[in-house]
Amino acid sequence: MIALLDRMKEHLPFSLLEQDEWKAIEKSAQIVYYPEGRLLITADTRPDRLYYIIKGIVEARSGEELIDLYHQDDSFGGIELIEDQEAHCDYRVSEELICYELPSELFLELCSSNDTFKSYFFSSIVERIDMIKERRESAAMAEIMVARITRSLLHAACIVEADTPIVEAIGRLEAERAAALLVKNEEGYGIVTDRDLRKYILQREEEGLTHISQIQSYPIISVSEGELLFNVQLLMTGHSIKHLPVLDEEGEAVGILTLIDLLSYFASQSHLIGSQIEKATDLEGVIDASRQIDTMIRALHFKGVKARYIAKMVSEIHKKMYTRLFELIFPKSWHENAALLLLGSEGRGEQILRTDQDNAVVFAEEFEPEKREEILLKFTEALDAIGFPRCEGNVMVINPKWAKDAAAYREDIRNWIEAPDGESMMDLAIFYDAYAVAGNVGLFLELRDGLIETAKGHQTFLPHFARSIESFESPIGLFSRFVSLDKGHKDEIEIKKGALFALIHGVRALALEFGVTKTNTTERIKALNRLEYMSRSDATDLIEALEVLNNFRLHARLEKIDQGRVPDNYIALEHLSKLEKDTLKEAFKMVEQFKKRVAYHFHLSMVR
Amino acid sequence: MFGALRKKWNRKRLTDERFAFLFEEDQSGEVVVFDCETTGLDPKMDEIVSIGAVKIKENRILTDEALHLYVRQEKQISYKSITIHHIRHCDLKDALPIGEAIEKFLYFVGSRPLAGYYLEFDVAMINKYTRAMYGITLPNKQEEVSAIYYDKKISTIPQGNIDLRFETIIDDLALPKLRAHDALNDAVMTAMIYLKLKHTRHL
Repeated sequence: MIALLDRMKEHLPFSLLEQDEWKAIEKSAQIVYYPEGRLLITADTRPDRLYYIIKGIVEARSGEELIDLYHQDDSFGGIELIEDQEAHCDYRVSEELICYELPSELFLELCSSNDTFKSYFFSSIVERIDMIKERRESAAMAEIMVARITRSLLHAACIVEADTPIVEAIGRLEAERAAALLVKNEEGYGIVTDRDLRKYILQREEEGLTHISQIQSYPIISVSEGELLFNVQLLMTGHSIKHLPVLDEEGEAVGILTLIDLLSYFASQSHLIGSQIEKATDLEGVIDASRQIDTMIRALHFKGVKARYIAKMVSEIHKKMYTRLFELIFPKSWHENAALLLLGSEGRGEQILRTDQDNAVVFAEEFEPEKREEILLKFTEALDAIGFPRCEGNVMVINPKWAKDAAAYREDIRNWIEAPDGESMMDLAIFYDAYAVAGNVGLFLELRDGLIETAKGHQTFLPHFARSIESFESPIGLFSRFVSLDKGHKDEIEIKKGALFALIHGVRALALEFGVTKTNTTERIKALNRLEYMSRSDATDLIEALEVLNNFRLHARLEKIDQGRVPDNYIALEHLSKLEKDTLKEAFKMVEQFKKRVAYHFHLSMVR
Repeated sequence: MFGALRKKWNRKRLTDERFAFLFEEDQSGEVVVFDCETTGLDPKMDEIVSIGAVKIKENRILTDEALHLYVRQEKQISYKSITIHHIRHCDLKDALPIGEAIEKFLYFVGSRPLAGYYLEFDVAMINKYTRAMYGITLPNKQEEVSAIYYDKKISTIPQGNIDLRFETIIDDLALPKLRAHDALNDAVMTAMIYLKLKHTRHL
């Protein structure tokens, strides 16, 4: 079999075909080369074959308008063949093409013999997204199923000889803070857990118990190092045991796995990290615990948890982390007289993987913070140590602009709104997204309410504020933009500039007009729906689009970290299936509609 | 000039008239790209293990009528060549005796021009048998893809050294790489190189 067909087998809808159907394909498919510019299907004619792209790009145009782009592993011509109708578009090679061609007779035969294959061509985007999700989820499941016992999961085993007096053995168990005692017998181990000790206390007199071997459970149920955790879980729950000795190849004990550790491995580690942070008594403790957050995110993402929920969890843990840092670093006198603000995506509760440090401090008026520079620097350095890169725009507490008293901020707010320029718009956006995480929160709330009031009083301000949604063109309509023009990012799209920015900022501008106090974009959209600005279905669509974009962004960033690259906002189209690309296009389309709506609402065409 | 003469001599030596078609004028407009997997790199000593071949017509590779033959082995396949081709003895269950395989190959090729990567070697392998069986060597026109590549490349870097390794050419032409290395897949990849080069003026 030609290896190129093997690749085709991995992609929907061809992955739905059976063995003998593949035989038929092998007997009639041809590999064809087309140079750039070749017209493959002319609008208003019937195609006579199905095209499957091995390499290259084909664009579909209706007149001048670009309707769709087809990349590697996409196919086209199918619907026209099944419907026996003319194509609506011209299909032209826009990047040198190598493709498989399936003759229409064969394709129609496959459609009549395989219903799922045929129905794929008529499935909606939503159905196709579900198919991708299923695939992802099963991959995530598979990952859990193949996780194995490693020593890092184990407690050290406390091993005693069979003739050790019971009290002495318990003493060692206590001293070594071990999970259970392993008793070394002539042949194999026995185990002594709390349950056995209970028996000892009740029966030592009448049964004359003196040696540890007399109260052991023997022989033991054990597993070998490297056993699948999935099997281990079945074994432990099946025998209802809480402690499981793990042996190496020679049968020597290497440690004990407890049921609690196993279950918490399967569950998320978020609870664990959160309580570690809260219990930390020094800065190192907070830093150590916080460093585990990335590992947790990865685990959650590959278990198929949605980006939105991960962000929620992360933001909960981060709040705990900031609160603890605030308590540990900032002097007591500050606690009533200062508020620590999280800005940007962190403020909106949308940060997933660590981005930059974005934070500020508000001091009460007439409060004179002692050692101010020193303390704020210490805070920033703690964040450095956890792994937050410093903010390039210098939006951090070590910048005096973002660490001043309430009166100075009030002055800022008035200037931002009365004399808006590019920078002040950005500052205002940052401040409106701020979330007061620790200290005297009231200091900030007063400022924020003032900001909303002042903005309402200036009718001309909001359109100016909203206008920046038009600063980046979306990759929609112009599908060629789907392919970045940037040389270093060939075949990639910038998802943040391309869509996320406009969505988030448009929602922000509307939220400001309607006086919404929430900072999270999803929450803001829901609020706009409750305030009857937006219908429920529009709100749902917008939230879905946000979710899709964030998911793609998270996935790309995680992949880049895995490959040892710097995570950015580019998404490589090459690795996306047709479905994923369609999903992405659909999300871009929704953002585009939303942009039009915002532009109309603020009469942006009239704003200069 | 000498080519025509050599072809004439070759024709005279043909001992089996069934294969006279090899010497006819080619009317098909097709080219055959082929590749042999062998037990080693010495045409005198080594044997053919499998033959993969595809026809190219204009801009298409006729994979629907591809030829992929395995040859029955008399000698043990060396350990080293097994690691390269991943052909083990058990893969050769449906294998043909070499005479039958050569015959099938000749009927497939006809009088079409041949193309390949390091074609000289593959042709020498085939000739070894056709000489013994029918008194002739392959009379077909031959085109070496690495030579076409070299010619197109040299115009861009006149003094440069041109890397002619198969993998390098595939990478340079941005062609898809096939994981499997067997005679047919190598022939398909070579056919893609051929098509791309025929459509590119400069590299």
